This record gives sequence, structure tokens and C-alpha cells, in this order.
Amino acid sequence: MGEPAVSAVGLTKVYGGVRAVDGVSFGVEAGEVFSLLGPNGAGKTTTVEMLECLRTPTSGDAYIMGYSIRNRSEAGKIRKIIGVLPQEFHAVDNLTVYENVLLAAAAKKNATGLKEILEGLGLWDVKDRRFSKLSGGMKRKVGIAMALVGEPEVVFLDEPTTGLDPEARRETWRYILAMKKEGRAILLTTHYMEEAERLSDRLAIMVKGKIAAIGKTQELVSQGGRVLKVSLEGLTESLAAELRATGYAVIFSSNDRAVINLTSREELLKLLTTLEVRGFRGVYEVRSAGLEEVFLATVGSKLTETGDLA
Amino acid sequence: MNTLKTLTVLLFKNWMRSRVAIFFGILFPIMLFLVFGSIFGGPSPPSYTLYVRNLDIDSDGSPSLLSDVFVKVLNSTVFEVKVLSPGETPRQSGFAAVRILTIPKGFTAGLLNKTVANRVDIMVDTIKRFLEMGDGNITADARENIERGLKGLESFKQQLNTSSVKVVLEGSADDRLLQPIDGIIRNISAEFELRLLNASKAIELETITVNVRQLKAVDYYLPGYIAAFIMTNGLIGVSSVVSDFRRNGVVKLLASTNIGKSVWIASLMIAQTAAAIMLTAVMVAVGWAVFGIRALPDLLSLGIIVMGAAAFTGLGILIGGVVKEADAVSALGNLLSFPQMFLSGAFWPIELMPSFMQQVAQLVPLYHFHNALRFSLIMSNPEPAAASLAIVLATTVLAVCLAIAATRWKDF
Repeated sequence: MGEPAVSAVGLTKVYGGVRAVDGVSFGVEAGEVFSLLGPNGAGKTTTVEMLECLRTPTSGDAYIMGYSIRNRSEAGKIRKIIGVLPQEFHAVDNLTVYENVLLAAAAKKNATGLKEILEGLGLWDVKDRRFSKLSGGMKRKVGIAMALVGEPEVVFLDEPTTGLDPEARRETWRYILAMKKEGRAILLTTHYMEEAERLSDRLAIMVKGKIAAIGKTQELVSQGGRVLKVSLEGLTESLAAELRATGYAVIFSSNDRAVINLTSREELLKLLTTLEVRGFRGVYEVRSAGLEEVFLATVGSKLTETGDLA
Repeated sequence: MNTLKTLTVLLFKNWMRSRVAIFFGILFPIMLFLVFGSIFGGPSPPSYTLYVRNLDIDSDGSPSLLSDVFVKVLNSTVFEVKVLSPGETPRQSGFAAVRILTIPKGFTAGLLNKTVANRVDIMVDTIKRFLEMGDGNITADARENIERGLKGLESFKQQLNTSSVKVVLEGSADDRLLQPIDGIIRNISAEFELRLLNASKAIELETITVNVRQLKAVDYYLPGYIAAFIMTNGLIGVSSVVSDFRRNGVVKLLASTNIGKSVWIASLMIAQTAAAIMLTAVMVAVGWAVFGIRALPDLLSLGIIVMGAAAFTGLGILIGGVVKEADAVSALGNLLSFPQMFLSGAFWPIELMPSFMQQVAQLVPLYHFHNALRFSLIMSNPEPAAASLAIVLATTVLAVCLAIAATRWKDF
């Protein structure tokens, strides 16, 4: 394996005595998705913005394709090879999709491949539509398109799916995985466990400015034990009551979405059979709850949907 | 690809497509210009409502001859006369000033007596002068007869009631037009008395039109409105755009590339200058079509517009750069704009304001902007506004420096 695309070495940022980022070190390879997972205020965005040359580290250094972020003469070279999707990014409402992408191209002084980027993200057909008229998912795709202008080798995505509905979130994941296949190094920040687990080759859990755990995603997940998490969409209250009566702990996370935690595959088979017999026609999803367990064990709290610690 | 050109075009498109920006940047100034221009600067002569209470009436309620003629004369001038019956008071007419002229009982008789007495005085005076001039040529008998006749005339005059007729004009102490109206009525009364004496005027006033440019109220409004709305575009419009771009991550995205903040600031200023020139063109066209203003901006006027647009865009970037909350940005933009609009004399000559406010006006950047623009655009002579021109230039340099200092491109 060659030199990492991104390499952070003891990166630290102090604001008025508060260590927002405290000695963070990690590396991201080309063709890899690396996630910084953590609650709000963990220092994820500050870390990423230091790597984007938008913030000056108090100490430590980082290298993007071998260029130091602390070296002013190399910062220009870094800016040429990175693509950035800022946190809560919202493009210019009164410009069209194409004009927004052109804005990024003008800033990067590189307008090659705009059509390919828009086609790849399924935006070419709506290129003349004003940004304000797009759905939430489409808007986020425009942000990703703007980040991809200039053929960046390293892409920073700061909470790319926050605020999106589940369908738009999954669609965004597909584009992120497609970017990975193109050989780009992708560093994303998120507070969604599922997102980190599904997208990341490796991830780091950040809490209070420090990396609390880091490793390959599968390895971290396997550390979390064999807890299976079954998400059910379209579960009625009456069926939930029947399941509870047979010993399942059903927890509703929203009106029609419930979660049941199981400890074995046998329990899972039994549950699915029960659901079939009781006529459940909704959607279910089964995944290992290992990362949550790791997070809980590492941080001591659960992470809520809004990114706060429970 | 030319970064500055592309950014400028995109920012201008963003401005053009914003309904709020187009309304407040183009349509609202035109509306104000048309409304205020029509009210204060239209071609019709002014007309003032004057209530007349005529107490000189006979038992049938008909006005006496001379009082009736006097009222008709008043009505044929700048006044729209509304006659009140004795004891009647004018109906409330909103905030319009109420002025009542009362013609007293005995107006006709008093006026006739006074006129006859005046004629007697003139006659006596003329005869006395005649006697003095013909001193050696008039016989003693003739002189004695003439002097006897003079005594008879004076005796006749003494039998007349020659006290003046007192016409009363009532009005509010707050009515700033009461004094000029008083003057107009005095002139009309003097003319009326002259006619009764059958005398002709010794001094004739002839009003002729000349080729020298006559300034009208709309000439004042045009540069005032152009300057005021270039200011609001900068202080309110640009500050909001900068604040939105910051909050939405657009500034971060731009800063993560190799584009310098000077290019970003320059593109904002050029886009706003284009908007300012568009506003000027539209306002000049409306002024020409509706009010007949012939003001074609020359190079200096365009230079002043460019400086003003850059100055207020710079201040807008400053506000959008240092204030974090979107609501606070909007509030500060309005806080700085509206007092300037009214204090600077953009909407009315500062000579109408109290002296201390005139001094305040000269501390306001907008005053110097519209003053320089007025002398250049309307008077075609910027020399009297050289100081204002220098202040606009200094403000522009300062605002650009502040915009650069306030725009953070790193460590937000």
C-alpha cells in the first residue's frame, strides 16, 4: 500500500482554552471511504475543515496527497485536488442546477466534465431547474456535484445526509459508493451509525475532540457482539401488542417504525415466521447492532437521530 | 474560464431572479419617483383650498356686490374657494390644512367709502399741486373759488366712514403655507383696490420662458432616488446575500478552492454596479418619459454611480461578514439605511429641514453621494459638489478596505 491520500498526525485545534480537536491521527487511502462518527460537538467538522485548509491547526499536521496543510505554498496544491461538501450546504436558490455547478467550476477554474458529473448524479435532466425548486435529495446531490467539480482525488463530505428522508439518504449512499469505485479517497463525517457502517471501509469514533476508537468497520462491528436489530416499517399497534404478548420487546422509534433487538438467528427466524403468520405486510430490515454496541461501550452513551448523546 | 467574469454573471443573475431584489431595487424606486414626482413636481400649477365666510350679505342671504366680486377674483387665482355660510365651519378634511377667510359685514359699503375717500384725496392733492405749479397764472378770484371747492371736498370726505375693511385670514400655526397665502391674498386685495380706483398699474410684471434650465422638484428626486436605492441595494441586499452565502456554506465551498477573497468581493461589487447602472437607466428613462427630465448620465455621473455602488456594496459585505444572525443582518441593514434616506435629504432638499438637521445630513454618506450625483447628472456642473465627490471617493476606498478586512476566507 502506498502513501495515504489523507494523513492526519496529532491534529489539534484549541479555541480559547477548549481543545475542540485533540491530537487526532488517522489515514485515508485512495479508493477508501473513511468516516468520522460522533455526536454533535465531537470535533468532526473542525477536523475536516483543517484538512480542507479552512482552519489553521493549533498543532499537529496533516498531509493531503503528500502536501502539508501547514505549508502555505502547498495549500494551493491541496485546494486543487480536493472536493468539499460543507456541513448543511445549501447552494444558491436563484441559480439553476447547472449554474450552481458552474459556480464551483469557476472557483476551481476547471469546467471539464460538468455534463458527466450531472449525468452521473442523475441531474442532467433537471440542469435548468432552479435550485429552490428541487427536492431535499436533489439539493444534496447538487452539493455533491459541486464537490466533484475539478476531478478531485480527495472528497470531504461533512454530514452529507443530515436532514434527508430515508430514501434520499440511501440514494446519496449509492453515489458515495460510486465515487469510491472511481478511486477517490472519501472522508465523511456522520452521526448516523447505519451510514457509517454501510459506507465506511474504516471509521473512527470521535468524542470530545479525541478519537475514541478507530479501525476497519467490519472488525469494529464484530466487536459489538451478535445483537441483531430488526427494523419494521408499517407495524400496527395491534400487531405490536401481540408481539409484546409473546415476549418481544417492541420499541417504536416513530409512528410506524419499530425496532426489535434479538440475540440469535433462531430468534430471528421465529420472529419472521410469527410476522408472516400474523399477516404483516410492511417492510423489515435486519442488521447487526455491533457498531452501536461498540459506540455504547466506547462512549458510554447512545447516539440519537439528531446527533446528540442520549 | 474567466473566474471573475463567470462569478459576476452568476451573482448578477442571482440578483435579477430575486423578486425581493427587483422590487426594492427597481420597481419600488420607480413607484416612489412617479408618486412623489406627480405630487410635487407635476406640470399643473398648485391649487390651495380656501374657505370663505362672507358676512356681507343682505336680508335675503345674497352677498353684496363687491364681496361677491372679490370672492370670484380669489377663485380665479391659485385658490379653490369654498364658500361657507355664516356660522358654518369647514368639514374635517383629513390632514389638509384649513384656511378660512372672513369677509366682514359692511365690506362693500366700507370699500366704496374708502375708495371715494381715496379718490377725493387724490383729487385734492392733484388740485393743490396744480395751484402750486400755476402760481402766477391763476387769478385771486379763481384761486379763492378753487380753495373753497377744496374745502367742500374735504368736508364731504369727513362725512364718509373711511375706516379700513378688515378681512381676517385664519389658519393653523403649524401651516407652513399660511404666510405665503397671506401674501397672495394681500396682492389680490391691492389689485382689487386699484381696479376700484380705476387706476392702472405703474409696474407691469412680464414672465417669459428662457432657454436656461429650470429645475423642478423631479430634477431633485431623480438623483436622490437613484442614490438612495443604490444604498439600500448595498446595505440591505448585499448584506443578506453575503449572510446567506456564509450560512449556507457557499463561502466555505468557494474558500476551499484557489479563488481569492478579492475575486469574490470584486465580483459582488461589479454585479451590484451593473444593477446600479440598470436602476439609473430605468429611472432616467421614466424621468424623461413622464416628467420630461433631460438628464443623460455623462462619464463623471457614471463614475459617481460606480463609486457609490462600490461603497455601499462594501458596507453590505462588512455587515454580512461580521454579523452572524440572519435577522440581525437584515435589522442592521435597515437600521443604517432608513435614517440615511430621511436625514440625507435624498427625498427632499435639506434646506427644508431645521438647521441642526442640515448639519446632521452632511455627516451622512448618502447626502454626499446624491449631492455629487445631483450636481453632475442634473446641473452638469460638479464643481460646487467637489467636497461631496471627495467624500464619496474616500467612503468608497474605506468601504472596500473594510469589506476585505471583514471577509474571512479561513478560520471562520
